[in-house]
Amino acid sequence: MSTFRAGQNQANTKKLNIILSTIIFILILNVTIQIWLLYAALNNALENNREILIPAFLASTVLFFIGLGMLYFLPNGNNNSKEILRKKDIYT
Amino acid sequence: MSKESNLDKNWKKDFPIHKQEAAQVSRRDFAKFLTLVSGGLMVGSGLVAAKSYFLPKEGVEGEHFVCKIKDIPVGGTQTFVIEGSKIPYMLIHLEDGTFRAYEQKCTHLSCAVFYKPGTGEIHCPCHEGLFDAKSGDVLAGPPPRALPKLDVVVKGESIYVTAAHEQIS
Repeated sequence: MSTFRAGQNQANTKKLNIILSTIIFILILNVTIQIWLLYAALNNALENNREILIPAFLASTVLFFIGLGMLYFLPNGNNNSKEILRKKDIYT
Repeated sequence: MSKESNLDKNWKKDFPIHKQEAAQVSRRDFAKFLTLVSGGLMVGSGLVAAKSYFLPKEGVEGEHFVCKIKDIPVGGTQTFVIEGSKIPYMLIHLEDGTFRAYEQKCTHLSCAVFYKPGTGEIHCPCHEGLFDAKSGDVLAGPPPRALPKLDVVVKGESIYVTAAHEQIS
């Protein structure tokens, strides 16, 4: 039975590149939004406005777990390529 | 086995020749690093919230004497520090006769601000920030927040300061 992970590892290298690039793009987006949330929280904390602090922390937490979930889709690499390399005796 | 062939064999063991595989490892590590940074930012947000709720900034308590009215001319300023605190404050005698007291630290990068007589503006020379002398609000420049202020209480010829109403409520 083929799983998602097995299917992904047999995928074309171009597809793997696209998947990786997309995951990194989403992670960079997450980090950017989290930086903005932290900046807003800090400014409001210094002005003694507490209303935004907990929502900002919760939003940052949600973004972190989204990013963590993205790691599941991180490809391990193309097993077919590894097999070809072994056959060419590159690792010996 | 010759030395050259032995070297060649070991060299290939130490360095993967297949460029794509090397690139894939570094991008995976970068993605994991980004997730780590994301976790750090989440922890930072939590710490900011926790500090604000559990270790709030101590406000000014009671009234503190600053100076006599005659000591500060119209358009002039008087810097002072409240007992028990290291924060520098600035008392301003505005042209309309009223008094204002603000922290002298710019909210951008804590440079010392000064009042420009006759303009109604408080100026930060470091990055050309401008604050309104009557309210402390930012008028121009990079400062992100208004200048924290104190309420001024005039009793006879003496000037006192106390916590601003926003802090008390």
